[in-house]
Amino acid sequence: MRRVFHKLYFVWELEKEQAWINEMAAHGYSLEHAGRLTFTFDETEPGKYTYKTLIIKGHSGSAENVKYFRFLEEMGIKVVCCINYPGVCWVYTRALAEEYPEGIEVYSDIDSTIDSMKISGGYLIFAAVLTLLTSVLNLWIAFGGTGAFAPVNLICGVFLLILCIGATISAVKTFIKISKLKKERAIHE
Amino acid sequence: MPQLALTEAVFYILLSLQKPLHGYGIIQNVEELSKGRVKLAAGTLYGALNSLVDKGWIDALPENPESRKKEYVITGSGLNVLKEELARLTELVDNGNRLLGGN
Repeated sequence: MRRVFHKLYFVWELEKEQAWINEMAAHGYSLEHAGRLTFTFDETEPGKYTYKTLIIKGHSGSAENVKYFRFLEEMGIKVVCCINYPGVCWVYTRALAEEYPEGIEVYSDIDSTIDSMKISGGYLIFAAVLTLLTSVLNLWIAFGGTGAFAPVNLICGVFLLILCIGATISAVKTFIKISKLKKERAIHE
Repeated sequence: MPQLALTEAVFYILLSLQKPLHGYGIIQNVEELSKGRVKLAAGTLYGALNSLVDKGWIDALPENPESRKKEYVITGSGLNVLKEELARLTELVDNGNRLLGGN
């Protein structure tokens, strides 16, 4: 049986989203498609799959990424679906839990982990700047920039400002983690 | 500039590729060689294989149309790098043993 859920996860909630998808898989629902607000699951054997969401550079259809996805499939990691954003894409992958009992780990070395975190961090900065600019524009319009007071723009402006703060906090946390990993790399491989 | 130390992953990948292997075969071989201690993740292996092909240390063999899995094998220059690294590691172990009173 197919079930569709509508849920909103913010740009910095990748891990939370992944935990929810894995929880669904543990209860017998395998993710078959993800949109920006919709998640489609099929009923399956509980605990059959384990999921991992990645952020990678470029469009999902680029030659380099198609090659990468094929390589992952050789490793038993199937790309379920992708969502493209400017310059990056969200990749939802899954594998049989019996083949990956500890969950899917895509990176096992510090360098690759840092590279991957830089992509996430860069995207969070982009999101923070974009939401800040649109928030300022909305607040300017709201407080009479183009004439009268506009309450709808006030709501949009405040919402975008909250998004901007969330993305900024998450970007800072990501770069702190990168800095710690770089220090670790100076001692360990 | 002297040859920089290889990462553990690269050392084991080169060591595994003395016979042609595809990605999953490399992961299994490395795990077996290291008695389960080193577990290469797919993304790390993918990046390492691409870098090693670019450096000319390994070759990507023509794809087997039946399995559709790409195999890789070490080149002559890759083997030289591996031998140099082994010499470096031997020096480390010898000095460690000598100063710590080992064998």
